[in-house]
Amino acid sequence: MRGDALIRNVRLVSGLVLMAFVTCHLANLAIGLRSLAAMDAWRATLTMPWTTGAGQWLLASAAAIHLVLGLYAVAARRSLALSATDVAQLTLGLAIPPMLIAHVIAMATANAVSPGFAANYGQIQAVYWSFAPVYAFLQLFVVVIVWMHGAIGLYSWLVLKPIWRRIGGLVLPLLFAVPILALLGFAQSGQEVLDKLANDAAWKAMILENVGRISKATRELGEFQSRAIWAYAAAVAVAFAILAVRILRHRAKPLQVAYDGGMRASGRYGLSILEFSRLNDVPHAHVCSGRGRCGTCRVRVDAGAAQLSAPADLERDTLALVRAGTGERLACQARVLGEGVQVTRLLPAFADASAARAPQEWVAEQAAPAEESRP
Amino acid sequence: MNEHSIASWSLDLLAAAKLRLEALGLDLAYAPEEARKAVEATHAALMSGMGVRGATYLVILLFIGVAVEWLYWTYAYSPLRALQATPAHSPLEALRLGLRHLVLRGSGVLLFTAAAIGVSAAFNWPPRVHGLVIAATLFLLVLRLSWIAVSVVISPRRPRLRLVPVEAAKARWLAGVLMAAIVLLAIGRFVPPIVEDGAVQARHLASALRLAAYSAAALLLFVACFAFFGKPGRHAGGANTASTRAPLFPLSFPLALLVVAVYAVWLLNAGGAAAAATAAVTIALLLGLRDVVHFYWRSEADPNGERGALPAIALSLARFVVVLLGVGAAALALDTPLAALVESASPWVRIGLRLLGVAVLALLAHGVWIAVRSVVDQRLSRIAPADPHQPPDASSRLLTLLPLLRLTTAVSLLVLLVLTSLWALGIEITPLLAGAGVIGLALGFGAQALVRDVIAGVFFLAEDAFRVGEYIEGAGNTKGNVERITLRSVALRHHNGPLHFVPYGALGSVRNTSRDWVIDKFNLPLPIEVESETIRKMIKKIGEEMKADPDIGPLMIEPLKGKLYRIDPGVKVFRCKFRSPPSKQFDVRASALKRIEAALKKSGIQFADGRQIAVMQPAPA
Repeated sequence: MRGDALIRNVRLVSGLVLMAFVTCHLANLAIGLRSLAAMDAWRATLTMPWTTGAGQWLLASAAAIHLVLGLYAVAARRSLALSATDVAQLTLGLAIPPMLIAHVIAMATANAVSPGFAANYGQIQAVYWSFAPVYAFLQLFVVVIVWMHGAIGLYSWLVLKPIWRRIGGLVLPLLFAVPILALLGFAQSGQEVLDKLANDAAWKAMILENVGRISKATRELGEFQSRAIWAYAAAVAVAFAILAVRILRHRAKPLQVAYDGGMRASGRYGLSILEFSRLNDVPHAHVCSGRGRCGTCRVRVDAGAAQLSAPADLERDTLALVRAGTGERLACQARVLGEGVQVTRLLPAFADASAARAPQEWVAEQAAPAEESRP
Repeated sequence: MNEHSIASWSLDLLAAAKLRLEALGLDLAYAPEEARKAVEATHAALMSGMGVRGATYLVILLFIGVAVEWLYWTYAYSPLRALQATPAHSPLEALRLGLRHLVLRGSGVLLFTAAAIGVSAAFNWPPRVHGLVIAATLFLLVLRLSWIAVSVVISPRRPRLRLVPVEAAKARWLAGVLMAAIVLLAIGRFVPPIVEDGAVQARHLASALRLAAYSAAALLLFVACFAFFGKPGRHAGGANTASTRAPLFPLSFPLALLVVAVYAVWLLNAGGAAAAATAAVTIALLLGLRDVVHFYWRSEADPNGERGALPAIALSLARFVVVLLGVGAAALALDTPLAALVESASPWVRIGLRLLGVAVLALLAHGVWIAVRSVVDQRLSRIAPADPHQPPDASSRLLTLLPLLRLTTAVSLLVLLVLTSLWALGIEITPLLAGAGVIGLALGFGAQALVRDVIAGVFFLAEDAFRVGEYIEGAGNTKGNVERITLRSVALRHHNGPLHFVPYGALGSVRNTSRDWVIDKFNLPLPIEVESETIRKMIKKIGEEMKADPDIGPLMIEPLKGKLYRIDPGVKVFRCKFRSPPSKQFDVRASALKRIEAALKKSGIQFADGRQIAVMQPAPA
């Protein structure tokens, strides 16, 4: 099953492309702290490349791929035993398309509807701050949601890498500095636009003319927009329906898993060991929330190894990466298919990302007591 | 207060309540209109450059708060996970873990709030928005802290960390309902002032909002009372089935009554609601305190249901603390000027305050007394009653001292309590003390012997001169087993039966024959003809046999030995000696004599009979 690893990596790359675009966009906004003119001057460098043919194509395909794979991930789930991070990512991710669609359509069609309307920051800021503040509010929310979704994704991917020790001190502050500076730039340039509107009558008249033309086209655009949102809602509903079917199908097949320390967990047929742990509040480390990346959830299978699903390539790679011994499995990948599974958690529940970055340190510490407890 | 004034007071109260209800009705009637206006005004304010600016700053504030809290959690998350994975082995340990939970999670929330409020000062907010932002941040703070408190106390997902006796099935629901009620109450507390201070000044709307929020909260809590406390005492222990337990009054009823009472007080007279709420919370805590305290000491409870005194102390102290906190909170809620109250000239207030002081003192004394008594009683019950046939061990000293300590504590606590109570009531006790001093002096002269006895007794006991069960000899031919030790005298049971009561003062030098070991010696007169070396060896051999004997052997510290001691005319006197534990020497000596007699008989030697035999020798030729 090379497929899972491929899908995971494609989703990651598409997310990184989107994140790069959003960062450029927000960095451009942050320049508004200097002046409106500087913002538009830097637009050529920071935003324009994304509006060229290749850039647009890349962006559009990345967005489509990320959306589809996100919904696929929902549909491919077997339970709702989500970690707090996953809940946040799922909710934020699902909220993005309907909120962003108005902005995307407006930017894509503005020039076609009103040839005089240049999609530069001065004119758009004027619309946001003076003529249609409702869009400004929408954009504020979108900035929060998109950035949080991206930041959480980027952080949970990077924090597991050994390189995080060197770049973490730089990336983490940036993850917060970028949106804060962008919003400060947004506020500052907005003030500048309001002053300009009050003082520059010709500019104001030009913008008023453009706004009038665009608002005429709004009706058609609105219809298109609502159709798109309905289509999206239908896709989300289908994904969740598939999830619901998966959950309900195996509802009547309860199985048990035994842990070290005499704990037991019950769950449905086909859930992973980690999902058993989460559904039953068994303390179990899982830094990457069950994506098979970190290896912190690994367990030694003491009995019933035949009742677990066979390890896929993704799991074998991670196990090799963390130098797992024989008879060890990733609890997030090993699905329980029968009774009699007994496992020993190898890492303490408080294992953090350092256990994924430097597995040897944690293995050396944890191996000794595990050996002793073996009967 | 006579009947008439009571009647007029009630009439006034009813009239005020009627006015208030009418005002609430008016508020409800005007609220929709005001709400429409307020929404319009808010919309107008938001849909402008000002509104966008305010919202932008708010989002920045959110990012900064989250950034600070994220930074905190990069350090605190692993400890939190470790804490959550720690199984608590007893409720007391769960309490300690819970406190750490509270601190760890509360710190993050506090950091968020501090960062957000601190940074908000740097922005150029549109008019009136800054206050709104701070109110919203505090609202968030209250909700998050409440959630932390609820989730730590009820611990819905981790039964082993739960701090209150709640069944697992109900814990999640209880946490949810409590949190919902807290949200409603917080809305009722925080939102109306914002509405009132807004551009429209919507007083009626604010009042209606408050009414709606508080009514919903009261309804929720009312239903929750019956849902969660309907069947009392099920958690108290598996062994107590319905048939063996006396039925208890269901907790749900008084709790629901409290909810209704507070709601009614708020509805009819908004002023007293806060005080009524604190009073209700206090009463509710008092009602539930017993179960909670016993929950913490359930591991120490005997199978018989005997719980020891420690939970009793904890219960009474906890009750007292709850009442005190309740009174304090009610005073704060009523805006009572506490300082002025203390200075107040009204005699009733002063007497009340003083009685409160006396109650505090009495409770403290009671607590100390229960603590001392329970400790002493537990130790006493653990020490077996002294057996005079056993060698006295270290515990017999405790057996002597502990009752004495208990009595002394009781007397001194009582005296202290009476004196301090008098003092707290404002009665001048200096003359009393001086008088007591004078009388004490006079009595002291009169009761010199008594004082000497008591003090001498203290030293006897402190020096461990004797313990209950030991055989002592005092001055003046007093001797016997120590049977009882009192404050003034010691009771000695003479080996012939009479009981001596010896005051310590008259005990003089004490000879304690029950300590460590004794040496016993006895004489063995034998005819002059016997070979002294043979006898010595024979006695030594008997000594070795006795040492090997399973009955007598353990009673001998040093074996029996004998040697020629004196030669009298016709008699050789051998002296035998051995060492044994105290009061065992008689048994050992009897056994030794028996064996010696048998051995002598076997070897044909007779004891010296005391008769002198004159042997007439023929005169030499």
